[in-house]
Amino acid sequence: MPWYLYLALKQLFPTGRRFPFFTAISILGVALGVAVLVISTSVMGGFGHEIRRWTVETTGDVQVRADDGAINNPAEFLAQLTKIPGVVAATPFAEGYVMLEHGLKPAFPVVQGIDVDRVSGVIPLEHYIHYGSLADLDDDSIILSVQLAMAVGARVGDKVEIHTPLEYEKFKNDEVLVPRELRVTGIFEIGHPALDSSLVLVTLRTMQDLYGRRGSVDGFNLKISPGLDADTAAARINAALPPALHGHARSWMEINHDLIFIIQLEQNMIFFLLTFIIIVAAFSVTSSLLISVVRKTREIGLLGALGGQPRQVAACFCFQGFIIGLGGTIAGFGLGFTVLHFRNGIIYLFTRLTQSEAALARFYQFKELPRYSDPSYMIAIVVCTIVICTLAGLLPAWGAARLKPVEALRSE
Amino acid sequence: MSEPVLSACGLTKSFLSGDRRIEVLRGIDLEVVAGESVSIRGESGSGKSTLLNLLSGLDTPETGTLAWAGAPAQGGRRAEFLGMVFQSFYLIPEIDAFQNVLMAARMRKVPGQAERARALEMIARVGLTERARHLPGQMSGGERQRVAVARALMNSPRLLLADEPTGNLDEHTGDAVIELLLGLCRETQTALVLVTHNAAYAQKTNRQLFLREGKLSHG
Repeated sequence: MPWYLYLALKQLFPTGRRFPFFTAISILGVALGVAVLVISTSVMGGFGHEIRRWTVETTGDVQVRADDGAINNPAEFLAQLTKIPGVVAATPFAEGYVMLEHGLKPAFPVVQGIDVDRVSGVIPLEHYIHYGSLADLDDDSIILSVQLAMAVGARVGDKVEIHTPLEYEKFKNDEVLVPRELRVTGIFEIGHPALDSSLVLVTLRTMQDLYGRRGSVDGFNLKISPGLDADTAAARINAALPPALHGHARSWMEINHDLIFIIQLEQNMIFFLLTFIIIVAAFSVTSSLLISVVRKTREIGLLGALGGQPRQVAACFCFQGFIIGLGGTIAGFGLGFTVLHFRNGIIYLFTRLTQSEAALARFYQFKELPRYSDPSYMIAIVVCTIVICTLAGLLPAWGAARLKPVEALRSE
Repeated sequence: MSEPVLSACGLTKSFLSGDRRIEVLRGIDLEVVAGESVSIRGESGSGKSTLLNLLSGLDTPETGTLAWAGAPAQGGRRAEFLGMVFQSFYLIPEIDAFQNVLMAARMRKVPGQAERARALEMIARVGLTERARHLPGQMSGGERQRVAVARALMNSPRLLLADEPTGNLDEHTGDAVIELLLGLCRETQTALVLVTHNAAYAQKTNRQLFLREGKLSHG
């Protein structure tokens, strides 16, 4: 190892010292900054990732709807969609609002009609059905979301009544439409409070009957080939669909554009603001190294006397900044990932202490703190930290390189 | 007669003190051949250390020329051509005696087995084999200066410059260090320029010079 790198390591970790205090403090300062960055970007990334998960897993990668409302020729539409390269599966859906009643307890959920034979190819519904089974869903049954089931006190096997706007339309014509009675065959839980409290699933035919739609659907949810970008797939579908069908495809990202934009903006802002913690830590590294240059003035003079070049002396101090940055990054990642691993326990403890358990779910729509460590952010943290800390060594390095050996050796 | 290892001709140096210029060296001529030891004595402030800094190439003269083994003195050759011993030892406190000695070789290239063996040999020659793995802070002043001597001779320099090497040592330890320095230089045919206040040490060198009013004279 060149002498300046060797000496940099020895000045940070002197021989015979088990705990190099100044080095430990400098590394700890950087590590704390890195840990906060890792935790905050991972949690923000988790929110985005979670939104992606429940969006894709409830609506598919791409959704196609008709420009002018209902799709009246779903079979033809479906045939066209499945011909498009990149489309793996497609399933029709129809939706609307209903009043659901069980034991005089009403609820006003969104009812979604699904094609039982096709839906599993696009949406992993089975995965979220905790009680009952998707296979049991027929034209006289319904699957409830968990919080809605709890709100109306319905269990698997119970019967619920469904009132639709069609009843009102019939009533205006002096006709009476009896509420539809459906048996509960399943209860699902997706993990998103809005969906878990306001969605019920019925067969497509039941939904069409409830709204009197005569075979029309609202759209199709599509699964695309793995690795294919959803926006690209949507554009490809729009280009391939015959104009006569009046269909328009949108990716899950386009559908949730505003939410994704806000989360991405927050994540970027947090990254930007928390980078200043690293910069503050880097100033303390600069300060420590400047003190080191002053303390070691005569040693620096000696290095010149022994034949060391000014640029090598500078490299010695820059390398110390680099090592502190590297050590701080490794320690910070260790600390950050440890906190992330125990995040739900920590949040549970915190919310219990502050009696705010419900707030997390109510405001952030998540029962547990999500986490997704985006590799690009992690790489950015590593690069930023090491570059900033190496730059922090520049000023002391410049000071050391400027010292003339004769004057340095003469200094008191 | 062999070619001089060190050849200085008409070296001058002055310093500004307030608005007054003080001429410290007023034309120094000096030649030292291989294996020769030369002592330079002088009163405090006479310019002995300044002269040594010029001879080592750490400082530049205002006028005059300096040659090492017939070629102009250049900083890039310093590590291989000369070794230096200082009054204050200047050991690196974070590394042990062995690594301090090896540092002289490290300055030239990444040390291999040969350099490590040479460092151990130098430690043995200054009688510190048992202390090789001790930090400077764990050693006495005499031991530290012996480590500094071993470091100065590590690269087998052709010229050794010693600036008051016994200044911080007691008389007994100082005697031992001077004997070691002279013995090693004699043995390795290294030219030695020794700056000292001590007349007895100066007498042990081949040639005694005195620096007075910026000029060298025979002492």
